[in-house]
Amino acid sequence: MAVQAKGNGDVDDEDRTAPGVQPGRPRGFHARLAGVGLWDLVQMECLAHSRACMRVVGEGGVGYLYFAQGHIVHAVTAAQIGEPAALEILGWTNGSFQPCDRPWPEAATIATSHEALILQVAKRRDESSNLVAFPGRGGGEPTGEGLDHVEMLEIEEGAADMRRPDEREVTPVQPAARAEAPAGDFSVMLRLSPRGEILKNSGGSEELAETVAYVRRLTELAGELLGIEGFSAFECTFAQGKLITFVESNGDTVVLRPRPEANLQALRERLGL
Amino acid sequence: MTGTLEGSVRDSLATLKDVGGVVGSFVCTPNGRLVSREIPAMFDDGALAEAGSRFVRFREAFAAGGDELELGVVRFQEHAVYMKVVGTSLLLILVEGAVNMPALRMAANLVGRRIGPAVAQAESAPPAVDPPVESAPPVRARRPAEAPPGMRRFRGRPVD
Repeated sequence: MAVQAKGNGDVDDEDRTAPGVQPGRPRGFHARLAGVGLWDLVQMECLAHSRACMRVVGEGGVGYLYFAQGHIVHAVTAAQIGEPAALEILGWTNGSFQPCDRPWPEAATIATSHEALILQVAKRRDESSNLVAFPGRGGGEPTGEGLDHVEMLEIEEGAADMRRPDEREVTPVQPAARAEAPAGDFSVMLRLSPRGEILKNSGGSEELAETVAYVRRLTELAGELLGIEGFSAFECTFAQGKLITFVESNGDTVVLRPRPEANLQALRERLGL
Repeated sequence: MTGTLEGSVRDSLATLKDVGGVVGSFVCTPNGRLVSREIPAMFDDGALAEAGSRFVRFREAFAAGGDELELGVVRFQEHAVYMKVVGTSLLLILVEGAVNMPALRMAANLVGRRIGPAVAQAESAPPAVDPPVESAPPVRARRPAEAPPGMRRFRGRPVD
């Protein structure tokens, strides 16, 4: 999440007109940060006991969080107001967070503490989101009916959603091949179409996509030569790091570069590696 | 590679079969030359060398991006190919069904260490015109009308 932060210091002319520079409010540093979690920003605002309205732009649209005396006191989104709006906003994972100048509500609409709100969102996220589809092992053709029974394996909170854009409940407005901030167990998550086009990319490079597309073809050829067709996955251990690649039932290739601390046992079992 | 060295590599490869599910194994140099094999004769030398050279290129493709391969497992429908880099060559192990991967990893490590010197020697040897492997005879049934060298046949019967 990108953020504009403030501190004690001068602001330039542009910033004087920028939303959020409220009259009488101490001026401060102006900064742009990237890769910061929304929950961290909310906690910072609460710790600062600031009275401010923050504009949050995320995958679900635009929302506003109102902070006062170390609490979120009000929230608004296009469809919600109060606590439901705050929960909706806190559920967004990508976007921007910046101060803005909006009318202050007549009364607070949120009584729940910001910690409780965040915990509630975290629980919801654990229960229902951040799932990535891994093919189950067993019998069938990897690109045919045999792997149609795609099993869902939960991965760590914060990991990027690698489902195809058309399979997602909420499709963020972003170019398909844009690299996103990697998160979770994998520093790289890449999805390639059967023709090698990058459908989704989190932390990967075009070079890696080309390499994987090529080695996938090589493994298929090698398999044919040995009479063992039906390539479905491979795992490489490099001098530094690992790489896991598997083919989904629709022919897409998913490439994962796990972080050193990631536990890959469940994934290996699913893929037969 | 001399017959003795090749034989010692083959003996080491044979120990991999102690791990259940191992069908056989072979060693391929970076230029795609088959150093040794311990795998059923249904896999002919040509196919092994061709497949091996694909896996060599697999390794090179990642190396070009800075990823130096040490181990690899390629999963197919019923089989898997386990790759281990030995020197600059590749030890390739064909397995079928469920295999005990930790056991296979350990066995491959031991074999890799044991065959390392012989493989290094083979890598430095000039490429042979013909595959140097004591190969299993090509599995090709002789046609009935085909006479052994020096023998004349007519309608499948030897003629004087």
